[in-house]
Amino acid sequence: MRFHQVLVSASPGDAVSAHAFELRSLLRRLGPSEIFVRHRHAELAEEVHYLERYGDFVAPPAGDDVLIYHVSIGDPEIFGFVSRRPERLVLVYHNISPAEAFAPYAPWFAGLLDEGRRELAALRDRVTLALAVSRFNADELSALGYRDVRVTPLIFDPAALLDVPSDRHTANHLRERVDGPVLLFVGQILPHKRPDFLVQAFHALVTYLRPDAHLIMVGNARLPAFSAALQRQIVELGLHRAWITGRVTATSLRSFYDRADVFVTASEHEGFCVPLLEAMTFDLPVVARAAAAVPETLGDGGLLLDPADGPLVLAEVWDQLLGDPGLREALVARGRRRLGDFDADGARRAALEALASVV
Amino acid sequence: MPTPGADIDPLIEDIRARVAARRRDGFYPEGLEADLDSHFARVARGRRTTDVTALRDLLISLEVRGAFHRGRIQLDTSVPGGSQVHRVIGKTISRQTEGVLQQVQEFADAVRQTFAGLVDIVEYADTHVHADVTAQLDAVWERLAAFERGPVDSPAAVADLRRRVEALEAAEAARRFDPPYTADEFESAFRGSDEELKARYRDVAERFAGRSPVLDLGCGRGEFLELLIELGVGASGVELDERLAADGRRRGLEVTHGDAVAHLAGLGDDSLGGITALQLVEHLTPAQVVELATVARTKLVDGGLLVVETVNPGSLYTFAHSFYLDPTHSTPVHPAYLEFVFKHAGWRHVEIEWRSPPPAGDVLEVADGADTVTAANVARLNQLLFAPQDYALLALR
Repeated sequence: MRFHQVLVSASPGDAVSAHAFELRSLLRRLGPSEIFVRHRHAELAEEVHYLERYGDFVAPPAGDDVLIYHVSIGDPEIFGFVSRRPERLVLVYHNISPAEAFAPYAPWFAGLLDEGRRELAALRDRVTLALAVSRFNADELSALGYRDVRVTPLIFDPAALLDVPSDRHTANHLRERVDGPVLLFVGQILPHKRPDFLVQAFHALVTYLRPDAHLIMVGNARLPAFSAALQRQIVELGLHRAWITGRVTATSLRSFYDRADVFVTASEHEGFCVPLLEAMTFDLPVVARAAAAVPETLGDGGLLLDPADGPLVLAEVWDQLLGDPGLREALVARGRRRLGDFDADGARRAALEALASVV
Repeated sequence: MPTPGADIDPLIEDIRARVAARRRDGFYPEGLEADLDSHFARVARGRRTTDVTALRDLLISLEVRGAFHRGRIQLDTSVPGGSQVHRVIGKTISRQTEGVLQQVQEFADAVRQTFAGLVDIVEYADTHVHADVTAQLDAVWERLAAFERGPVDSPAAVADLRRRVEALEAAEAARRFDPPYTADEFESAFRGSDEELKARYRDVAERFAGRSPVLDLGCGRGEFLELLIELGVGASGVELDERLAADGRRRGLEVTHGDAVAHLAGLGDDSLGGITALQLVEHLTPAQVVELATVARTKLVDGGLLVVETVNPGSLYTFAHSFYLDPTHSTPVHPAYLEFVFKHAGWRHVEIEWRSPPPAGDVLEVADGADTVTAANVARLNQLLFAPQDYALLALR
């Protein structure tokens, strides 16, 4: 019995890839398990295979093989592949970013996102079991008519994260060159995550309330047209204390978390949002907006703003938090408590049980 | 144990209320959030997104075709009976070429990454320009942003400044006295003839014999200058009224049009033998009087003479007759005060001389044979009511 997984693309630090790796180490207890992708980052060449090689791993064919497909975007070739394969199909739904947010910057990418939603609907009757990483995602699948949908949270292990050492040079730079309070965003620099909204709020913060603050946005600038617009927004507003880092290593990420004072996100669409839990792991108070799966993941572990609140409210909340140690302590304590709800071993067990149930 | 930070929800409500109040009070400029939104919309629109679509499409097709695999090598053949041989040879070759295929794969990956990098550079050329240029541009933007954030851009602040400037201008306009008659017409109506004036000041002029050059501050029509010249004293004057100054020059006198104290301050130190200010200081502000005492001293040569003549506020007769006849008289200056000011400014020898007693016919008389008490009372009344109308302060540097 083999449990192979299929993803559109794999890259280091990406939540979908990380989840696939976690599942692979579980599935290998049950039988052979490999990951197949259409696109892969060069660093993962040893870890994942191109889809074309799938045939090598399933010869001779066996009737009880399981194919696990992680959905976060469309891809006609993979869709064709999973539609045709004879294996039982398990779908892991990470949610699909809203296409309209991408249309102005990368129409081709927006097209793939639209395609993903069409494919998701078309796969309904082919799928034996659907797993969703959040209730929010599960509800979307149910709305599409999926019958057997289970919520199995992302496997998040704070201990593993705390084991990652801090990058000496990044830490040194942050210590020596970055004075004043630091607001940290972690996530891909993409339109639906609204880093532009963070920049607007940051403009209000440093102009009217707290001129010594920094905003550091750590994440892959995956869409050059959008990140260039964001950079220009920062430059034109004269915000020399706002900073987009681009992709960073795990050790550098640790340095940023260590130096930060507050974790912030203005994201309007998340299927789960792992960085919320990462921030809690490093005892950072979290400020976010109540959109998509964010309230579900955050629980009462941080400060949630209404999506109708504008950047001025966000700026004043930051200001309040930076000047109120009591409030900060309260939020950190709430975060720590909320983190306890995400038991890594429990999540592994739940995932394994769900996957084993299709056999 | 109470829930930590249970009061967070009311806190957000408080912050919303604070933002609303600050918006009302103008702490946040009107329309700030809408401005920020339209700013980002403009910035985002400015990005070119379609002009390298073709390159992007090529990049995608390169991604799709970027996987090399021996599984793709055709193992079957349509030649009858050749199939078995073909499969054996094909499998052998594919095993032999595995290493080559791996190298091709690595090469293709490198090409794909290079191409992706090039497409980025082509598409966003402006983000790859020289670092110096972008740094300078950033600095300019920063200064512009600082300028735009300055307090001047608040409409309330501008309105307040405008209101204050207008109030100042109105006060200044009200303060300025711009009569419809000329100074000459005024003086002709109320002052005596040239000869009467010259007779009145001849004794003053005589004190300046041998003290050339002499400057007469507020020289009016120039009668006193003429007196000095008649005595062979080199003299010039300064007069605030332009017509009077021009009139003096027409009569061959050296008269400058301008403010007396400012003109004096502009002269060289130790350049004058004498200075006169006849019926001038009652037109000046207290500050100008003090400045005159200080500046005049530096302009005179050592031993030079200054005469300041003005109305005597110790004589009630003055106020009944001459002082209020001229609406530009601002403040009568008490002789004791004037003496104090000049002594304080460092003048060596300062004295007061009483001038212009009221006409004998106006003074109260004592009847012949009056008793001594009555005579003493009349004398005291005369002292109060009919003291000399003017006094002169004489000072030596």
